[in-house]
Amino acid sequence: MAVAALVGATLALSACAPATSTPDADNGTLVIDKSFDLVTADPARMFETTGGIVLHPVYDSLLTFADGDATKPLPSVASGFEVNDDATVYTFAIRDDITFSDDTALTAADVIYSLNRVKNIKGNGSFLMEGLTVTAGDDDSTVVITSDVSNTAIPAIVTSPTLGIVNSAVVTENGGTDAEGADTADTAEEFLNSESAGSGPYMIDSFDTTTETVLVANPNYWGDAPAYDKIVLRNATAETQLADIQSGTADIALDLGSDQIGSISSNPDVVVTTSSSPTIFCLFANADAAVSPITSNPDFREAVKYGLDYDAILDLAGEGAARAYGVVPNSFLGALGADDAVETDLDAAKAAVARLGDVGTVSLEYPSDISSNGLDFGPFAERIQSQLADIGLDIELTPSPVASALETYRAGTEQMGLWLWNPDYPDSADYLAFGPGNLVGLRAGWAAGSASELEAIMTSASTETDESVREGLFVDFQNAMNEEGVIIPLVQPAASVVSSAATGAVNYDAVFSLDIAAIK
Amino acid sequence: MLMFVLKRAGAAVLLAVGTIIIAFLLTSILPGDPTTAMLSERAAADPTIVAALREKLGLDQPLYVQFFIYLGNLVTGDLGTSTQTSRPVLTDLSQFAPASAELALFAAIIAIVLGVGLGVVAALRANGVVDNVLRVVSLGGVSVPVFWLGLIVAALFSTQLRLFPSSGRLDAGQTPPPAITGLFTVDSLLAGDPGLFFQAVSHLVLPAFVLSAPMVGLMLRFSRASVLEVLGNDYVRAATAKGLPAWTVVRRHVLRGALVPVITVLGTAFASLLAGTVLVEQIFAWPGIGSYAYRSASKLDLPSIIGVTLFIALVYVVVNFVTDLLYGIIDPRIRTA
Repeated sequence: MAVAALVGATLALSACAPATSTPDADNGTLVIDKSFDLVTADPARMFETTGGIVLHPVYDSLLTFADGDATKPLPSVASGFEVNDDATVYTFAIRDDITFSDDTALTAADVIYSLNRVKNIKGNGSFLMEGLTVTAGDDDSTVVITSDVSNTAIPAIVTSPTLGIVNSAVVTENGGTDAEGADTADTAEEFLNSESAGSGPYMIDSFDTTTETVLVANPNYWGDAPAYDKIVLRNATAETQLADIQSGTADIALDLGSDQIGSISSNPDVVVTTSSSPTIFCLFANADAAVSPITSNPDFREAVKYGLDYDAILDLAGEGAARAYGVVPNSFLGALGADDAVETDLDAAKAAVARLGDVGTVSLEYPSDISSNGLDFGPFAERIQSQLADIGLDIELTPSPVASALETYRAGTEQMGLWLWNPDYPDSADYLAFGPGNLVGLRAGWAAGSASELEAIMTSASTETDESVREGLFVDFQNAMNEEGVIIPLVQPAASVVSSAATGAVNYDAVFSLDIAAIK
Repeated sequence: MLMFVLKRAGAAVLLAVGTIIIAFLLTSILPGDPTTAMLSERAAADPTIVAALREKLGLDQPLYVQFFIYLGNLVTGDLGTSTQTSRPVLTDLSQFAPASAELALFAAIIAIVLGVGLGVVAALRANGVVDNVLRVVSLGGVSVPVFWLGLIVAALFSTQLRLFPSSGRLDAGQTPPPAITGLFTVDSLLAGDPGLFFQAVSHLVLPAFVLSAPMVGLMLRFSRASVLEVLGNDYVRAATAKGLPAWTVVRRHVLRGALVPVITVLGTAFASLLAGTVLVEQIFAWPGIGSYAYRSASKLDLPSIIGVTLFIALVYVVVNFVTDLLYGIIDPRIRTA
């Protein structure tokens, strides 16, 4: 009984204590709930969504974007840049008034070190530096990036938090190197997981990939001081985020699905902002006859393309989601509009099925244990299965954990696949990966040389420097992609940020997901 | 008694070795390549990056070589490095295990106090109204899904009533007490910080209650049945006939006999509490071994998967060992059997 009394008394006291930690805006602390995919706080090794949210305000990059507008690169560490006519040589002017958090000056040497380190570490984000060479300019305050081929995406690429500028002296002192062989010789990750070495408005106070990561304002920041002194980013599932934002335990929740948001839409204590994310959900039918003689048949692709009810699929994505008319998201240059949409045509679809004859069952694979913007793959797969059954195609759903599903996907052995794509960098050129012979195209069994006209457009789009011409090329690229029907873009999910009324409206950032330093 | 202890200890060691072998083999045949889960889309398309990572993780070696390397490292206390946290698995376990232990301990306390207490009451009021109500409670405890109960409890006591927080071990950004035991409630008291102690307790209440629910139901049923059985014994009737007060009879004669099977259940149930924290920790963002295990499995973090498996298996082994000893102490016939 004594134990019972003790337990009872303790529980009563803890309930009387200020149990829920209602964040107080007055103390300058902002609590953000996010489902973590954190791996590292070393920018050169980081290439995850949560990592980008954490490191963007810690490490300044050469250029940046503001307000989620991915069309206009803005000055940051570089005050501006010049580019030659064929977009192979970019010269960046480095500002001379920027200091790191230890109050030492940021120089062109730090920029060169940081970019070369990313390249030589051979990590998840090293592809950003593929084909690029970084050298000092004619004077101490310029840096030159030279590309092997014309590359108009470089201004967008250098905004990536992966290419954030580190204090080269501090990182070197703690085991870092930018030389070739950095993949084995660089040992600075442990240091960078405990302390930051950047020039951004925040510094890392504590970093934990599993529980919470804390940022504090950089007292030596060269720009305007951020609104909050302290940022606490906590790892929480969507269900926990919903409870936290309603109980006042969190100021911002980033991963609530449309159903959850619907349940709190009338709550006066929260503010919801919704916009389209740049994520694309897409379906593919493998074009490799060795993988599937059925899905590689153009008639099968035509049947699928015209047999889907795109609006019904969009309904599953909830309010704020948009139909993906092409593979390029609607906020990027050359995105397709409704006029270019593939329209459902059941007669054409059934005619294509009739030409196919009896094709048996086709497997549709998708990851069963991940979601994006609150959306699971399962409901989409089931609706696709149902719609294609209506035109006479028998689709067998084959869900599996993402770690397993990725293997078959990356091996290009899925007959049909349902996947998503997040931009590697905010430029339409990233979506050339969907074409034949490129990254995603190959996963759909789409070899180089199988669509010569489309591939010619891709080559032109990757090297064209005139923006208006480039825009037209990306429109042509996507229309040709839709015509081929190997990869069928479906939806762009809504991206919602739920914040407390005290914090006010916080907008989703199409480039950085959440721009912490911009929250006022 | 010494021979009894040695026998049980020997069996425990054999169990541990068997667990290591089975855990390693089962983990190695999991579908999926760990490098796939670690690499981005672009990096995974670069064979040199894939090869370098496989070499770094030792996956380029034959399975038997990997096993002997693992065993060799294990002898020195090296469980490998987690691919999700980039830290030694042992460091991760030392961070997450106390969190789960604290949660399980609180859940066990709730289960013992409520389960045994109510079980005795139910037995003493057998077939009465109280007994019937408690049997329904017991049935509910073991049959209500933990994830459902967790969501309901969080919605009611955190979102609506705002009595207890719904996530984490401490408030956001709160500095933990200096680590001595890893149990924030104990460490905060040792640090002389009662405010932090009550904060830690307030974070424990909801997840511990939810985690304890099935165990409360189980303990209630076992305690009731066990007490009922003992109540029918001659020595209990004799004690009652001697005119001893009812509570004295229960305390001195009934509970001692009735607790033997209850302790057995308690031992295995406590170990299963640790293994069963996955759902509760996910719901309440509790940074324990369950959440770690879930993330390890979803990211194919093989060293962590093996580490967690070993840890939980060892907990079972140790708890069973202690249970056997307690069983032997309470009932001397066991020692000589």
